[in-house]
Amino acid sequence: MDAQTRLKQIGMPRRNNELWTFFPVAKIPTPAFPEACADTTDYSDETDFAALLPIAYNARPMQRDIADNASEMAMLKCNNDFGHTVLNIGKNAKASLEILDNKVAHEICAERFDIHVGENAQVHIFFANPADGVPLRFRHFRIVQEAGSKVFFSEIERGSGIKRTSLDAFLKGCGARLEIRSLNVLDSDDSVHHRITIRHEAPETESVQFARNLLNGKSNASYDGSVVVGADCSKVFSSQLVNTILLSEDSSVSVKPVLKIYHDDVECTHGNTCGELDSEQLFYLTSRGIPEKTAKEMLTRAFAKELFMPLEDSPAKKRLEQVVDSL
Amino acid sequence: MLSIKDLKASIEDGTQILKGINLEVKAGEVHAIMGPNGSGKSTLSKVIAGHPAYHVDGGSVTLDGKDLLQMEINERANSGLFISTQYPTEIPGVNNVEFLKMALNSKRVFLEQPEIDDAEFKKLIDEKMALLEMDERYRDRGVNEGYSGGEKKRNEILQMAILDPKVSLLDETDSGLDIDALRIVAGGINHIMGPDKAVILVTHYQRLLDYVKPDFVHVLRHGKIILSGGPELALELEEKGYDWIEEN
Repeated sequence: MDAQTRLKQIGMPRRNNELWTFFPVAKIPTPAFPEACADTTDYSDETDFAALLPIAYNARPMQRDIADNASEMAMLKCNNDFGHTVLNIGKNAKASLEILDNKVAHEICAERFDIHVGENAQVHIFFANPADGVPLRFRHFRIVQEAGSKVFFSEIERGSGIKRTSLDAFLKGCGARLEIRSLNVLDSDDSVHHRITIRHEAPETESVQFARNLLNGKSNASYDGSVVVGADCSKVFSSQLVNTILLSEDSSVSVKPVLKIYHDDVECTHGNTCGELDSEQLFYLTSRGIPEKTAKEMLTRAFAKELFMPLEDSPAKKRLEQVVDSL
Repeated sequence: MLSIKDLKASIEDGTQILKGINLEVKAGEVHAIMGPNGSGKSTLSKVIAGHPAYHVDGGSVTLDGKDLLQMEINERANSGLFISTQYPTEIPGVNNVEFLKMALNSKRVFLEQPEIDDAEFKKLIDEKMALLEMDERYRDRGVNEGYSGGEKKRNEILQMAILDPKVSLLDETDSGLDIDALRIVAGGINHIMGPDKAVILVTHYQRLLDYVKPDFVHVLRHGKIILSGGPELALELEEKGYDWIEEN
């Protein structure tokens, strides 16, 4: 079943669909697909509208293969409304990939990334540019990880519009580890939505989801994070933590953790905090002479910076920290 | 220099903690405030600093004739007030040195002075860290982040040394310090102290006062200063406790 057929089958996203509960679905324009679907891959198992959209619109596929044992840094940029990127990271390879935003201003932008990470490979995928000028942006990732591989997925969302990142990860090999770090710095009517599903399909796999939101104005963020641990998967570790600071009365956040665990010998946690800037920290800074406005900026930057602190030093980390410093 | 007159303050539920504090501190003086737990010692410093958890019910606090209670928190600090609280707050993600530079430059801007340049600031912080025998770890960490109780107190005195305030109110600066650290911190306070400055030490014990000699000792109880005297009063309190005061 091609992507167009599958999309017609599942229909437009609705709020009563679990994957779209928090999303302003009325903002999605009705698709007008090309006559034929160029990609004939079977997508009958795909359930996410946003994952199918670029394929149904005949997004020009871009494939990049990184050889075994290679080391590579690259920037990925989609110049069309719809993009489809296929990445194959070879065994023991090391890659740092920054995704740049589509600067073509249109009503909607949808990108899909299919990423296969070979045994013991290590890849850092990140994006931090503001996505101004696109009222509605979908970005979908399908990540398959082999044994011993490590994927660091880091993002900073800021700028106007509605954005949704969906991610389906499959930890197929023993010892695979995925770390997702999401920072959302929103204002005005901005809204950012995450729908993450991590499937632990092998023993001793690890996943970390860590999201932080700084919400001002009438902005809105949501985080729908699922972890599925298979029946044969012992010694799995997974954590999910979402911290939000509401900087205005009208901002809001919704968080939905889902854990489906079919093995007893695992460690899986989830947590969610929501509050304002710490009044004692604010007092401390101002009691040293720092004006309140500056003190608040220091505290919000510190809150954001902490998210990326555990990452090893790398050009990616440096880039992320530079963006945080400029907030 | 610092004049506190009939200061009354309460917490959110209306409970009055300070019930009329009177204290005159002149330049060059060291005052010690002692008192049992719950007498209002920590509240006093927070009220003077402008902590939002407290409401001033009456009275006045002036520094060199300027009404501190009418100022914003940062203006009080930049006018020359330094408060060290009993439990310094941890601020992960805010680098300790960058914070100190920001604080110093905020004061300079307030006093209409040029901001300090990097080289001059490095020289200043190197000098003050050496004075307090602080190691390099203090530079890279977040403000008070992961510090032991003693390290936090030492970091407070570093801030005091950098900001060079007119009046410092140090709340239980000796708690959490071992004997060597107490000597170093006390040495730092004595170094910073001068004829144009004043220090108010809030403490439970005589031991800090062995190193930083007070000119006056006050006993705070039930939100009021109930007795004032010379340094000998601290020794008497150490020997007899507080109950004898009210009994007499």
